[in-house]
Amino acid sequence: MSKRILVVDDAPIIRLMLSDILKFNNYEVVGEGCNGQEGVDKYKELKPDLVTMDIVMPEKDGIQAMTEILEFDKNAKVVMVTAIDQRESLMKAIRAGATDYIIKPFEQDRVLSAIKKAFGEA
Amino acid sequence: MEDKSRISKAIQLIAQLSIDRASQVFSKMVKCGAKISLEKVYLTDITKATEEIAIEGGEVIGAYIDLVGDAPFKFLITFETNDSLLLTDLILQRPTGSTKELDALTQSAVQEVGNILASAISNVFSSDFQIKMKPSPPQVVHDFAATLFEEYISAIAAESNEILIIESQFMVVRHNLKCAMYILPLKGSDKTLSYICNTI
Repeated sequence: MSKRILVVDDAPIIRLMLSDILKFNNYEVVGEGCNGQEGVDKYKELKPDLVTMDIVMPEKDGIQAMTEILEFDKNAKVVMVTAIDQRESLMKAIRAGATDYIIKPFEQDRVLSAIKKAFGEA
Repeated sequence: MEDKSRISKAIQLIAQLSIDRASQVFSKMVKCGAKISLEKVYLTDITKATEEIAIEGGEVIGAYIDLVGDAPFKFLITFETNDSLLLTDLILQRPTGSTKELDALTQSAVQEVGNILASAISNVFSSDFQIKMKPSPPQVVHDFAATLFEEYISAIAAESNEILIIESQFMVVRHNLKCAMYILPLKGSDKTLSYICNTI
């Protein structure tokens, strides 16, 4: 059975690009969220195997959303997707519980390696 | 006056570093060679700013982003409407001409280019000068170029008679894609920019 993934990003074009990569590689995209709050709500509703989460988003940022997801499910797998390539920001995400991070703009191979690593398949 | 000139020099250096970084990420994003060139860095009277940049009249899609942190800036990127369609095709690696009209995806393409370029600039502040900066979520806007620019500079009008404008242009290999990017330092950035002046 294919792994179920929730994609959270405020930019529809990024959600489309990530969803295309994931579907093409036999993952099931079970839902999309356009801000951190939607990410939390959809996680609780859909209980996906993994979430890809943007950091800079309106309403609730990705790190806050991930923290709330991990409070709900301490085993949640969250891969951060961000354009902010700054050590401090990335370490903050990892310390808060992110499984891995992907820097935008991304290549398909980098997305897949982060997802596989999160699932222990790398 | 000397301070202004030194700060202007520091901004020119940061702008060049930022634009070099932004060129790399933009090329990666559109999957072909792209060059962003620094056109002008200048201080001008706020009432003459719109005239000075000689904005051509058409409708554009733009994204406003606030760079918040130790050196606050306002960032604006604009694409002519037709160029935003081409931009969408390039990002999604579709044949050019596939995107026929402005829709949520097209606006999102401009939003994401703005986000990635503003982040590239904040990354330069962080990596090269250890200055904390982060972009806000982009606000996508669609209007006449001059209207967007006036709204953009209005943020500084209450606190200064002059503004420092950094203009740049994009060129994408094999495509006539043009884009304008403006970076406007806000008043609170003076102290950090002076610090940079002393370190370079």
